[in-house]
Amino acid sequence: MAILNNIISTFSQKHLALLLIILCLLISSAEYGQQTTDKINYLSPHNRLIFGNYLYADKDYLRAADEFKEYLKVESSDTVQFRFANSFFKIGRYTDAIDNFKNLFFSSSISNESRLMYYESNFFLKDYKTFRDLAERDDYLPIKFQKEIERLKFITYFFDDAFLPDQNLFLRSFPDSMQQQISKFYQLKKYPKHRSVTTAVILSTLIPGAGKIYTGEIGDGITALISTALCGYLAVTNFKADHQFRGWLFTGLAAFFYTGNIYGSAASAQIYNARVRFNFVNEVKIFFDQRNYLLPQIDF
Amino acid sequence: MARVQNIIFVLTFFFVYQIEAQSECVKWEESKPSYELSASRLHNYNVDKSSFGMTILSVARNAYYFFISDLDGDNCAFDPSCSAFYLQSIKETSIFKGTLMFADRFTRDINFFKGMNHYQLLPSGKFLDPANNYTLISQKISF
Amino acid sequence: MKTKFLIISFYFFIAFVTEGQDLLHSQFEVADNLFNNHQYFDAITEYKRLLFFDSTKTYQYEANYKIGECYKAGAKFDEAIKHFFIAEQSAKNDSLVFDSKVQIIRSNILRRTTDRAFQLLDELEKDEKFKDRIDEINYWRGWTFMFADDWKVAARAFAKINYNSELRILADQTEKAKVSVTFAKVISYILPGAGSIYTGKILSGLMSIAWNLAAGYWTVNAFTESRVFDGFVIGELVWLRFYRGSIKNAEQFAIEKNIDVANKSLRFLQNEYKGIKP
Repeated sequence: MAILNNIISTFSQKHLALLLIILCLLISSAEYGQQTTDKINYLSPHNRLIFGNYLYADKDYLRAADEFKEYLKVESSDTVQFRFANSFFKIGRYTDAIDNFKNLFFSSSISNESRLMYYESNFFLKDYKTFRDLAERDDYLPIKFQKEIERLKFITYFFDDAFLPDQNLFLRSFPDSMQQQISKFYQLKKYPKHRSVTTAVILSTLIPGAGKIYTGEIGDGITALISTALCGYLAVTNFKADHQFRGWLFTGLAAFFYTGNIYGSAASAQIYNARVRFNFVNEVKIFFDQRNYLLPQIDF
Repeated sequence: MARVQNIIFVLTFFFVYQIEAQSECVKWEESKPSYELSASRLHNYNVDKSSFGMTILSVARNAYYFFISDLDGDNCAFDPSCSAFYLQSIKETSIFKGTLMFADRFTRDINFFKGMNHYQLLPSGKFLDPANNYTLISQKISF
Repeated sequence: MKTKFLIISFYFFIAFVTEGQDLLHSQFEVADNLFNNHQYFDAITEYKRLLFFDSTKTYQYEANYKIGECYKAGAKFDEAIKHFFIAEQSAKNDSLVFDSKVQIIRSNILRRTTDRAFQLLDELEKDEKFKDRIDEINYWRGWTFMFADDWKVAARAFAKINYNSELRILADQTEKAKVSVTFAKVISYILPGAGSIYTGKILSGLMSIAWNLAAGYWTVNAFTESRVFDGFVIGELVWLRFYRGSIKNAEQFAIEKNIDVANKSLRFLQNEYKGIKP
C-alpha cells in the first residue's frame, strides 16, 4: 500500500487520469475479445443452433430447419442432423425427412433411432407395398426397433388390398392388451360386411327397388317401385283407352325408371362397399393415431 | 371485467393455434386477398368442344338452361344439378351408360326422403352427388 | 479524482451496453430491409431472431408489431392478430397500444370477422384514453360496415368525420344503387316475372311471364275440357313450377345485383382508393 502511494504521488493528476484511461481501454478490449464473437454475430453457427433449437421448441419447424441447415454447413452433429430431419417429418415433408434420416444410418451414435424415423417417414408416404418391401431390407432395419418395424408392416395390411398374412403370425406382433381389438380389425378386413352387386341387380330385376332396399337405400327403393309401377299402370290404362301416344309415353317412362333402378342398385351396392372400406380404414387410423402407431417418441 | 374477458378470449385463440398448425409448412409469399364479396353461382354456359357429341349435348343443355332451367328456379337438391350430372355421366362413360346413370339420378331426385341417405351436405344446403361415384368403377368412388 | 474514475468507468459501461444495442439495432435494420423488400417470411425469421437475442426486451413491441404486419401482408390473419396482441401487451405508451389495437381491427376486417372488429371498436370508443382519436375509430368503423355490406351505416360513420368525405359519398351512392329484395319478391307474387324486370333482367322477366301465361292457359283449358288429371299434372309440374321459379329468381337476381353493386365499390376501394386501407 505504501509502495502504491509512492508511485501515485510521483505522477501528476493529469498523468493519473491518462493512465486510468489506458488501463480501462486495455481491460475492456481484453474483455471484449474475451467475450466470444458469438455474442456479436447472431449468424454464427453457435447462435444459429441455439436460435434453431428455440424455433424447434416453438414448433416453427420450417424456420428451425433453415437454421439447422446453416449450422450443419459448418459444423457436424448427429443430434442436430436428427432435428433437421425431424423438422421435415413434423411438417409432413416426408421425402425430405427420409433423405436426411438416411444420412445418419452409418457411423452415427443415433443410427437406430434414425432408422426408425426413416421407416416411420416411409410409412406416412402411404405407399404401403414399398414400405413392406423396405421392411424386408436387413441392412436398413434398426436392431433396437425391429419389432416396431414388423408391427408397422402388419398395420399396412389394413390400409391396402394386399393379401392378409396368417392371423396368428399377424397377432403375434401386437401386445396382449390389444389382441382383441387387432383380432376384430383382422376379421373385419378379411370378411368385410359387403353387399353383393349381383344380388342387388337380381333383386331389382325381380322387384323394382328391392336391390336398393337391400343396400340400405330404403327411400330410393320405394321411390323406384312406386314410379315404375305408376308409369306401368298408366301405360296399361292408356293403351286400354286407346290413347296410343300416352300409352307409349308412359311405357317409355316405365322402362326409364325400371332400367335406372337396376343400374342404380348395382351402383348403390358398390358405394355401400366403398363406404364400409372407408369407415374401416378411418377407424383403424384413429385407433393407431391415438397410440402413435405403437412407436416410441424420439427426440434429441 | 371486459378487458379480462378479452384477454381470455384472445389467449384461447392464441392457445388453440399453438396446438394446431403453428408451424408453417412452406415458405409463403405476399398475398392480397380480394375485398369483393363472393358472387353466387350461375349456370355454366361453356360449350364442351372435346368431341362432336359433347358439343351437341352442351348446346342442347345450354338451350335447356336458357328456356327452362333459368326460369323455373333452383329446384335440384343435388350438386351437380341433374342436367350437369347427365353431361358429366356421358363424358365419363358413354351415352347409353350415362342415360342409365341419369335415370337412377332422376329416381333419387324424386325421393322425398333423400335427406336420410348418406349424401354429404354442402354449405349451400345441397347434397353432393358427383357422377364419378356411379360409373361402376369402385376406384373412382370418393366421399 | 474519484469522480473522474467513476465517470470513466461509467462511460465504458455505457459503451458496452450501447455496443449491444447497436447490434440489436443492426439486426432490426436487417429485418426491416427484408420487410421493405416484401420478403415477409424471411423478415419474420429475422425479427424472431432479434426477439430471441434481445434479453432486455427493448424491441419487444417493435418486433412483434412488424411480425404482425408481415403475417398480415401474407394474409395469415390469425398469426397477425396474435403478434399484434403481444405487441399491445408490451407497448410503452397509449399511442402504441392504440396502434396495435387498430391493427387487430384491420386484420379482423380483412379476415371478414366483422363482428369481432365491431366489438373491438366499441371498446376503443368507450376507453377514455382514446377520446381524441374518435375520428380514427369512426374511420375504421366505416370500413368494417363496408366489409359487412352495410353501406348505409358506413356512410353515417364517415359522415361523423367529414360529411363531404370521399368514402361517405361512395357509401351513400352504393346504398342508393342497390335494389330492394323484398319488393322484388312481392311484385313477383302479384305478376310473375315483374320482380326480374325490376332487377334489370328484362328478358328473363318476359320469358317468365310468357311461361306462366302459357301454363295457366293449358291448365285452365284442361279443366274446362274435363281432363282433370291432365289439369293437375300441368298445374303442378308446369304452372306452379314456373310461378315459384319467378319468385325465387326475383329474389336471387336482386341479391346478385346488390352483390354486383357492392363489389364495384369494393373493387374501387381496393384498386383506386388512395387513402389508408385495412
